[in-house]
Amino acid sequence: MGVTLTALLEQIANGTMMGAIYVLVALGLVLIFGVMEVLNFAHGVVFMAGGYACDFFFVHLFGNYPAVVILTMLTLALVGLALERAVFRRLRVNVPMQIVASLGLILMAQNAAVLLFGPSALQLSVPTVHSLIRVGDLSFTVQHVVVIVAAVAAIVLLQAFLHWTKLGIALRATSQNPDAARVVGIDPDRIYRITFAVSCALAGLGGALLGPLFLISPQMGDLPMLKGLTAIVLGGMGSIPGAIIGGLAIGIIEAVSTLFISTDYRDMVVFVILIAILLVRPWGLFGVRVRGEA
Amino acid sequence: MRARATRLTAGVLFAAIVYLLAWAFDHSPYVLFALTLTLCYAIPAMALNLLLGYTGLVSLGHMGFAGIGAYVTALLMKKGGLAFAPSLLAGTLAAGLAGVLVGVPCLRLRGHFFIIVTLAVGIVLFLLFNNLDWLTGGAAGLPGIPRPRSIDLGVAVLDPRRPVGFYLAAATIFLLVFAIQYGLVHSDFGRSLAAIRQDETLAASRGVDVFAHKLAIFALSAAIAGLGGGLLAVFLRAVAPQSFGFLEDINLVLIVIVGGAGSLFGPTLGALLFIALPEALRIADSVRMLLFGLALLALALLAPRGLWGLALTAAQRLRGAQSAVSHAERS
Repeated sequence: MGVTLTALLEQIANGTMMGAIYVLVALGLVLIFGVMEVLNFAHGVVFMAGGYACDFFFVHLFGNYPAVVILTMLTLALVGLALERAVFRRLRVNVPMQIVASLGLILMAQNAAVLLFGPSALQLSVPTVHSLIRVGDLSFTVQHVVVIVAAVAAIVLLQAFLHWTKLGIALRATSQNPDAARVVGIDPDRIYRITFAVSCALAGLGGALLGPLFLISPQMGDLPMLKGLTAIVLGGMGSIPGAIIGGLAIGIIEAVSTLFISTDYRDMVVFVILIAILLVRPWGLFGVRVRGEA
Repeated sequence: MRARATRLTAGVLFAAIVYLLAWAFDHSPYVLFALTLTLCYAIPAMALNLLLGYTGLVSLGHMGFAGIGAYVTALLMKKGGLAFAPSLLAGTLAAGLAGVLVGVPCLRLRGHFFIIVTLAVGIVLFLLFNNLDWLTGGAAGLPGIPRPRSIDLGVAVLDPRRPVGFYLAAATIFLLVFAIQYGLVHSDFGRSLAAIRQDETLAASRGVDVFAHKLAIFALSAAIAGLGGGLLAVFLRAVAPQSFGFLEDINLVLIVIVGGAGSLFGPTLGALLFIALPEALRIADSVRMLLFGLALLALALLAPRGLWGLALTAAQRLRGAQSAVSHAERS
């Protein structure tokens, strides 16, 4: 195999960047699933909305990219509140109807994006995409670094929130045992609202970070959503460290796989690995085996 | 006994209606096209209904099995020069075999793990259809599948090259699958599946071999999906990977759920709604798709049992109101 070290390192850098994006999506999915037992298949269009919102604010409000990213996250948090209130709170136990509602949301959001922003993809020109960093033979854009740094910051902040604030502890308590949480005076509806807001803000961050590197299009969230789902299954459905490791692993594995096999099969590698791992560990890599669940 | 006679009459009536549609639309090939397409999708929808509605297993990759049926049927007819019936049978069996191969490892998983693995299986199958250029023709697919030869039935000749002929052939296969669905649901096997759906642990403790039942129904469901896929391929005379992608997988789930999972007529109703209606309205426009999404959302929130369930509830309420009125009149 004529794979040079440079090519390998380059793909690892690319993979870490994409993995960081998948982690942001996976964290949102795992929070919603862990707390509400809802699989939000519409998480991809939330990601897409992040990309479009970022572009809109950047072009029409102010050209300060970091401020725009934060504004995007706040906007998407509001979208999350609305989604939880209007749709997902009522569908908590009905998995088939979660799928129907998600597809309804996907159709609405993707077609609304076409109507509002036109059918062609948008290019968000942020300065960090045009400046390159060179380390030896390696070169990548500053935006790669921005993505990874922002994702790490988001993960650290999320962990701090979940472990050191009263609200975060209440959230984890609800996810572990909703009835016991209610007994000690935690209002589950409030926790559901916050969970959805945080999850959608994370997905919005992902869209705002990836948008400048790739194009912003109505379908930009589809694959990140599928990879995010794969990541949380690998991680054991409900484990936050599992979702982080799963997301990063998927990003790096698929990037490195392109060195050995055709890029046509890049997406397949991930799903085949998922199936293979579940054959050996039906409860995921980091999941806890629950009686009657796996 | 009376209930049985009623059911028999209803069945005969349903079959008669399905066949008479061919006669009613003999001179409008476009309507027949839309109806035949609906039947082609109603078959995999009934297959998925056996899993989703009657066994409680959500499979998000079922169009992948339909794709296996479609590609095997298409390859045998186009490159193997085989006739329609044996090719379709081979396609059905191939999809069933794939169902066993997927089912053995995946059916050990429960709940959400199973759902996401079936999603992964569907995507992997799509990527195979899309990328195995030497076998499946890649993204361009396999065009130019030969038309089936006409069948001499003695009293009449069924010519599938005419729209009416193909409709009648598709209707026969559709009714056969409908009968299988009916027979299965009303058998001991079907009742065991219902027990598994309601409480797997309890079913196991009452002596139901849960894994064997799940595997059998999964394989049968995959085979029926393959049958529908093969029929679709021959009807459209081409197969393309896009017909079996992620969105189509979800679409099939929608057909079943929106029509009414766990009801005999639900999948057919759903197929009429999702295949014939968009065909008739020529849905493609963004505004209409947006409204369609809104309708789905409203449906999910307002009709948790699907349209067929909604109709049944409405009928019950109506009957309840009538009996209340007659009570009031009597007193």
